[in-house]
Amino acid sequence: MPRRKEKMLSSKDVDYSMILKRYDIDLQVEATPEEMAKSLLPKDPVLRTVAEDVLFMRLKTIMPTVKEALKDRDPLSVINEGLVAGMEIVSKLYAEHVYYLPEIMMAAKVMEVGIALAEKQLEGGKMKMKADVIMHTAEGDVHDIGKNIAVIMTRAAGYEVIDMGKDVAVDDVVAKTKEVNPLFVSGTALMTTTMSAFPRIAAKYVEEGITVPLMGCGGAVNRDYANSYELGIYSDKAAQTPLIAEKLLAGYDWKKVREEWDNIIRGE
Amino acid sequence: MAIKRYTKMAYDSADELIFGRAKNPLSYGFGIQVGAGKVITEINYAPRPGTEKSPETLRREYVDYISKDCLDRAVSIGLPDLQLETEWISQMAEARISAPVVEGQKEIIEKYHEEYGINTAVRHTIPDKRDTDNGMRVGLDKVNGAPEELFESAEIACENGADVFSVESIGGKEMADYSVTNGDVVAFLFGVGYLGSLDMTYIWPEFVNICKKNNVVPGGDTDCSGANTSMFMAGGYLDNDVQRTFSALTRAISAARTVVAWECGAVGPDKDCGYEGPICKAIAGNTTSQEGKQCHCAHCDIQSNLMASTCDLWSNESVEYHPEFGGSSVQCWLATLGNEVMLMNTSIQFKQDKVLRDLYMYADRVRGPEAYILSYDHAYEIGKAIADNGNDLYLRAKAAGETAAKILMDGYKSKELLLTRKQLEVLESSIQQFEALPDNEDAFVELCLEKYKDVPMFHPKNYGF
Repeated sequence: MPRRKEKMLSSKDVDYSMILKRYDIDLQVEATPEEMAKSLLPKDPVLRTVAEDVLFMRLKTIMPTVKEALKDRDPLSVINEGLVAGMEIVSKLYAEHVYYLPEIMMAAKVMEVGIALAEKQLEGGKMKMKADVIMHTAEGDVHDIGKNIAVIMTRAAGYEVIDMGKDVAVDDVVAKTKEVNPLFVSGTALMTTTMSAFPRIAAKYVEEGITVPLMGCGGAVNRDYANSYELGIYSDKAAQTPLIAEKLLAGYDWKKVREEWDNIIRGE
Repeated sequence: MAIKRYTKMAYDSADELIFGRAKNPLSYGFGIQVGAGKVITEINYAPRPGTEKSPETLRREYVDYISKDCLDRAVSIGLPDLQLETEWISQMAEARISAPVVEGQKEIIEKYHEEYGINTAVRHTIPDKRDTDNGMRVGLDKVNGAPEELFESAEIACENGADVFSVESIGGKEMADYSVTNGDVVAFLFGVGYLGSLDMTYIWPEFVNICKKNNVVPGGDTDCSGANTSMFMAGGYLDNDVQRTFSALTRAISAARTVVAWECGAVGPDKDCGYEGPICKAIAGNTTSQEGKQCHCAHCDIQSNLMASTCDLWSNESVEYHPEFGGSSVQCWLATLGNEVMLMNTSIQFKQDKVLRDLYMYADRVRGPEAYILSYDHAYEIGKAIADNGNDLYLRAKAAGETAAKILMDGYKSKELLLTRKQLEVLESSIQQFEALPDNEDAFVELCLEKYKDVPMFHPKNYGF
């Protein structure tokens, strides 16, 4: 019943199930993160502790945990089978609607802190990332929260992300692409009149013989638009970007990404 | 003009809140009367990509295609009133690009008013392109001069034909983005409730001066960059980025920031995307535009019926201009929007407006936490908490968040409002965080300047520190 005794219509005999269905209540997962992660954590007890610190977002203990782990395990194992493994479980929990965006952000931060420490013991002092990726918000557009989330998620998936920021000129994107030769470039736009930067970038790529796929993202962009220019591919949400990246890394070109997009974003 | 904080409510009870009527009605444009006994249709649109390539193509798009289509359809279906809203694309900060659009829209709405007698007006909403890294105040941004450009854009809009002036300013956005992605409600309170209010207090007196000089109505400034980002990311039942209890609290806090424009001399109507509008109207009695079921061309939300409960203008948020089976997109969405407005105005004439208001509200009341707190009775309570602390920007924003949290928890405990475990967990955590906060502004600011000093793009000098 309403809190205040206003002159509102009474809802006393209303059957709300005839009006709406709270699917979020019905869909909520019963299992806890601990229960779901049990079978996914590394068997090795040292690496398991490292993975758990990422999984449970323990920013305060990650450095001592990694320091301890490095006494008994090589740095690459600590990184890949501890820190990255923990992040992969976080991603799975996110996909299952058990973890949400704040957990992803915190876990990614914990993982990065741990990697920065372990990397110091690697030859060369730096972990080899899967590939380079460039991300930016379109020329004339200052809405960058979606891009910022995609940067975190793509980095957490093991890619070296060069974040060019917001309102990035078309020519600057092309110049950076030539300099870095990334796996792909993503652009985010929230306005119809800024997403027009993407076909202009693609046209310059074609002119200069660049074959890097150009991913269009953001509120203004839809799949049809992103697919309307050569080299264009589409990502609807930040969480889809790493899935598409995996396929590009496996050798898919922009045409094959377009053809199999529906399967790719389902994780197939 | 002296800034006058709201310390009491314009209405004695929530039951006085209703669509189509406000304590402070307005007349402007060509015969438009807002809040004076009927709801006004407000249509919003976006030009097609590529039309921005020259002033001529952009003017043609906005005036000869979009505005003409809207006015033709409005007359075709018998709407007595139509307000256009043009949200400026970023390129329009240049007068050579924007002035022809503003002038052209003024000419065409006058033409239709004279030819058909339809009451018309146009709202211009300028972009806020200020960058926190470069500097948010006049004199700070040596790279782009964006603060100066903000006021220049206001002048261009007001000098060339706007009837109503609005903006969606971005003060505190850097903190809001951090807050939403990290689920930190105190960061939102600091960023939007406090810093956002400081920024509004900085920019709005000058906007009001510019409007007064040009006989333009200074409408208001809604928290699109903060509370709407939170709402969009909370999404619907299949989305799992932001909890809807979180987005409900951020909405409540944003109302304390949004009324600052009115405290600085703006008079309404506030903008369509301000879902905090019912709270603001309850405090100030000013008119607001709202959006809901006919704004799904722009975004989804799950309080689409309820938002009409207290609206004075009813909007579609935005639709890209393109063809549909039933005409152009603006025509199709205008018609559905206008028909909804006709229903509201019919109910007023039949003295069934309060019944319709309540039905709109109940259709969504328990659909989710944000709908729950925006139900007009709850909106009134939150508004009262803001007014009771009106002279303190921190305490009033905190009170808004705390009141909303209490409303949600009481609703959950009474079983009126269902919450998922995660939504409840976030609500409980937020309540604890509010309770742990200091009871005075200085201590809160000191705490936050230290706690959030490393938030990307946050620079205290932008807010006068």
